[in-house]
Amino acid sequence: MNSLERVKAAIAFAPVDRTPAVPQLFGHAAVLAGMALEDYLRDGERLARCQIEAYRHYGHDMVFAFMDFSVETEALGSLLQYRADQYPDVASYVLTPERDVSALAVPDPAVAGRMPELLRAASILRREAGDEAPVAGCVLGPMTLATQLLGIETALYLAVDDPARFENVLDFAVEVAVRYGLAQIGAGVHLPIVFDPAASPAVVPPQFFRERLLPRLKKVFAAYRAAGALANWLNITGPTAPILPWYPEAGADIANFDYYVDAAEAQKLLPATCLDGNLKSLSFVDASPAEIAAAAGALVAAFAGRGGFLLSSGCEIPLEAKPENVAALVSAARAGT
Amino acid sequence: MDKLVETLLQGDHVGALSEARRLLALGIAPERIVTDGMETAMRRLDDKCTVESFNLLEIMLAGRAVSAVVNELYPEGAPPAQGRATFVIASLEGDIHDLGKNVTRMVLIGKGYRVVDLGKDCPVETLVNAAEREHADAVLVSGLITPVIPQVRKLRPALAARGLDGIKVVAGGAALKQATAEELNVDYVAETAFDGARYLEQLARRKTE
Ligand code: B12
Repeated sequence: MNSLERVKAAIAFAPVDRTPAVPQLFGHAAVLAGMALEDYLRDGERLARCQIEAYRHYGHDMVFAFMDFSVETEALGSLLQYRADQYPDVASYVLTPERDVSALAVPDPAVAGRMPELLRAASILRREAGDEAPVAGCVLGPMTLATQLLGIETALYLAVDDPARFENVLDFAVEVAVRYGLAQIGAGVHLPIVFDPAASPAVVPPQFFRERLLPRLKKVFAAYRAAGALANWLNITGPTAPILPWYPEAGADIANFDYYVDAAEAQKLLPATCLDGNLKSLSFVDASPAEIAAAAGALVAAFAGRGGFLLSSGCEIPLEAKPENVAALVSAARAGT
Repeated sequence: MDKLVETLLQGDHVGALSEARRLLALGIAPERIVTDGMETAMRRLDDKCTVESFNLLEIMLAGRAVSAVVNELYPEGAPPAQGRATFVIASLEGDIHDLGKNVTRMVLIGKGYRVVDLGKDCPVETLVNAAEREHADAVLVSGLITPVIPQVRKLRPALAARGLDGIKVVAGGAALKQATAEELNVDYVAETAFDGARYLEQLARRKTE
């Protein structure tokens, strides 16, 4: 089996030759290649080269056209502060409590901000690795985009003080996610991953997720499915146990679970959904390869009888992860079945 | 005072503010409004918020109301230390997550402490300078991304180099929470803002005893 066949089989709960190794390996690919992160994040071709290099180096099972969580908000007019070796952040938000979302237009991914660079990365990855490995894209979920347009505190206060206006922001975020995701599919990604960290119970209560976010995620995933996405992947970190049971209703085929939720619990909450997780991200920095191998081996064993599993970190592999620890994750997937 | 406690707990910042103004107009001292009003509200919130049931929105709204009241009571800026402990708090260089830090600050202010907030993306050097200048009892750091960990480890040695060994270092936030106090070279790693506040309360109590 090649990586693409292996991941497809895992998603379908079909037999696999071995557990797919899908570490969430984003900016770490730049560090591995000795490139300044900023260059990686602003140039689609460099991003694609580093991703392919990392894929050849580690032999894991997916490549990622992923920049950072600020691509959409920048394309919409927020100003970013870039740093050579850290992810950028928003220096000035395009929306304020006074400036209404109706002032914004859905950006055209062909020209807005770094979106065209991401699309370029996607098409290079598809051309050069896409026959053997799935190419994942990256889109912000509605809640996280709303927080990236307003600033997280302003967004949360607005959600409480003026729910109707906040819902308008969420609806706009859905339009952005649909258009940007479809453009990524058009450029060659097999699946755009929807990252919605701000939808985590670490930030908003589960009821909020169910009432205000679930219906909107549904729309986003329905659009991707209609456009031929290989699968829908919902990636929310933190203590997500209370919201995981709603993922199938959202239209997710792959559900990320972080180290806050253990494997047995995740399996119980999502018996028929492919799961990815849940090694502690920090352990890639400070644990030894033997410790990673042991934790990863235990996870592979926990899913042996069930299938529907991508061996992964619970959230991003840190930039400064030890390469031998990422390698240990991949070896553990190879060693198990 | 009951009405103030109630409005604070409801996160009604407009109501809390007008209630604080009414109490001031009645000649009640700001210190009493803090101890009998704000601290009571924070204690009730604390009892409700366990690690399992932690409603961030509820705490943020109460925090906003507390901030509004504090600004009214002490328009010149930070409230006087009142013999209570002083803390400096920041998110370290390269880390722009500040929601958890802000929540922690609001909880501690609500408990009547003096908190000097150095914001996000803050160098260790700045934090140590502030700790010295403000005669801080503890330095609090919030870390949500793992690359700040080496900076956290440097804090105690940096304080010691200035002869500030007595200042405790407390860490919190999603990335730092994954590590132990020994690994981070700090005095305490807090699971939540209230957990950290409990540790700091013990410290402050020991100091006054
Ligand atoms: C909101 C959020 C953001 C917002 C931040 C907005 C802001 N101004 O804070 C945005 C979208 C901008 C963002 C950006 C990024 N993020 Co972010 N983000 C989150 C998220 C979803 C929630 C964090 C949060 O605010 N939680 C709520 C607060 C209240 O919780 P808390 O901070 O833990 O605080 C509580 C306690 O810990 C405690 N506490 C906190 N600090 C302290 C300190 C003391 C002294 C005490 C006593 C207590 C205490 O008090 C609080 C209440 O109890 C988490 C995921 C998650 N589910 O946790 C990811 C997360 C933290 N982010 C992550 C990452 C990787 C990033 C980016 C690098 C992403 C990227 N690739 O672009 C950038 C960072 C850029 C940078 N240079 O820092 C990772 C970190 C991984 C790691 N371990 O390194 C996480 C875990 C998620 C992930 N991978 O998807 N993020």
